[in-house]
Parts: sequence; C-alpha cells; structure tokens
Amino acid sequence: MSDDVMRRWRWFWAWQDEEEEAWLGEMARSGWHLRSVAFPNRYEFDRGAPRDVAYRLDFHSGSKDMAEYLRLFADAGWEHVGQYGGWQYFRVEAHPGEAPQIFSDNATKAAKYRRVIGLLVALLPMVLFWTTRLGVAGGPLGSAYGLAGLLFLLVYSYALIQLIRRVGELQRWSG
Amino acid sequence: MTRNLARYLPLTETTAYILLALTEPMHGYALMRAVDEMSDGTVRIGPGTLYSAFSTLESEGLIVKVEERERRKTYGLTAKGRQVIEAQLRRSAILVRNGRRCFQGPGFTSPAASRSEEEREGADR
Repeated sequence: MSDDVMRRWRWFWAWQDEEEEAWLGEMARSGWHLRSVAFPNRYEFDRGAPRDVAYRLDFHSGSKDMAEYLRLFADAGWEHVGQYGGWQYFRVEAHPGEAPQIFSDNATKAAKYRRVIGLLVALLPMVLFWTTRLGVAGGPLGSAYGLAGLLFLLVYSYALIQLIRRVGELQRWSG
Repeated sequence: MTRNLARYLPLTETTAYILLALTEPMHGYALMRAVDEMSDGTVRIGPGTLYSAFSTLESEGLIVKVEERERRKTYGLTAKGRQVIEAQLRRSAILVRNGRRCFQGPGFTSPAASRSEEEREGADR
C-alpha cells in the first residue's frame, strides 16, 4: 500500500458521534482526508495538505428520499463523503473560528438519535429471537453461544439506555 | 383558535421562521437563504435540521409539497400552517411588548441602548 493512503478501523458509539466528528477534523488538520467509509467502521484516508475541515455525521437509513436528502446538503455546501449502516458523513471547509453545523437546534439533533433508537427497537425482535435460540443448543457449545448472546443483549440494552439518555440531555434545553 | 392547533405552540424559532418563509412557496436551499436574510443572520438553518423539520411539518399538515424538480421539493404553507404561525406571532408580540415594558423602567437597559451596545462590541472585534 502506498504511503499516501491510510486505512483505519475505528469503533464509535452512536451517542458519541460528535467525538468522531472531532477526530475526523483532527485527521484533516494533520493532512489525512477521509476518502471513503465502509462497513464495518472502516475508514480510508488520503494524504494531502493539512486543512481545516468540519466533519458532521447524520443518521439516515433506507433509500427513501435519499437523493432529495443529499441534494439539500449539497445545495447547502456540504460534501457527502460516504455512508455506512445509516451513518452519513458530510464535510465542509471550515474558516477559523467557525464551526459549521448541520443541525441548528437541539430538537432535530435529538431526532437523529431517535432515529438510531428506532432502528435498534425495530431490530429488537430479531435480536431476541437469535440470542434466545443460541442458548438452547445444549452442551458446552450451547452455553458458550448462550453466553455470547447474553453479552450481546447487555451491550444492546446499554446502547439503548445511553441513546435515550442523550436524547433526554438534548431535550432538557430545547429553547 | 382551536385546541388542536394549540398543541403546536410555542414554536421553536427555527420552525417559526420556516413557516414564515413558506408563505411564499420555496425549496430547501432558497428557504435557508431566505431565513438567514430575514433574521439578520441570527437564525441559520442547517440542512439536517431543515430536512427533519420538513418531514415533521409535512406529516403534521402544516406545509405541503407543491412541486418537485431536480430532486428539490418546493413546499408551501397550508391553511393550518398559516393559523399556527399567526397564533405564534400573536404570542411573540405579547412577549416583545412585555420585554419592552420591563426593560424601559429605571435601572434597565432599553432595547435601543442594548442594541447600540451590541454594535459597539461588534466594532471592537
């Protein structure tokens, strides 16, 4: 691989997406510019001149109205870098002292996290079905699977709780 | 005003400006610029916020799609939307009236004085 391309895997929690935005901005300031994002959490960066770039993430899944959605962002000057799993990556050149935002109020920022919650809740029956089935296989393998399923459920509930907390935080000051 | 419209009030400043701007049908980008201008730059609507607001306002029947061209949807205000923004403006007028009364008493800065203060601060920057 050439020295001008860097690949990184990086996990982030949905309620900490602003930290992810900040990290991508730091990468740009040190000359690494996001070229593509891919499942699972795989980033590719191109080396270039250090620049001030604001990265912003939105959550928008499904193809419904996607073209119209992207057109609105493009019209407003935002470049769509890519998406995976519903996370949409946008960026714009930032002027010193300015922090361009894609959300200008807390209500619509909270709605972003509610869309993530909506997806997790929609997937919950399937998750419950598979995690409970894993445990009934019996034998040592069955209990290992059962344990893995249980851990997965714990992480799933943790994510839901954190997201609900984030929505509450944003709604506390929605003036 | 009917009770079912009261549940929309008070509107956020962003929503109020979106409805106000849509008295003249326009698409998203035109609306962002119109609101920026109308509000003297105090309200800048991000595209994420606008997209989200459009779908909420449309599903509530406050705005309606009047045209779609090159993947840009043009929205206009519905009769219901008009009633809501008018009710909001009446509320806001009362708020402003009270603000004026409170801040013109002794020991308070009048709106005119605080404006020139802001201008001075702006000049210092």
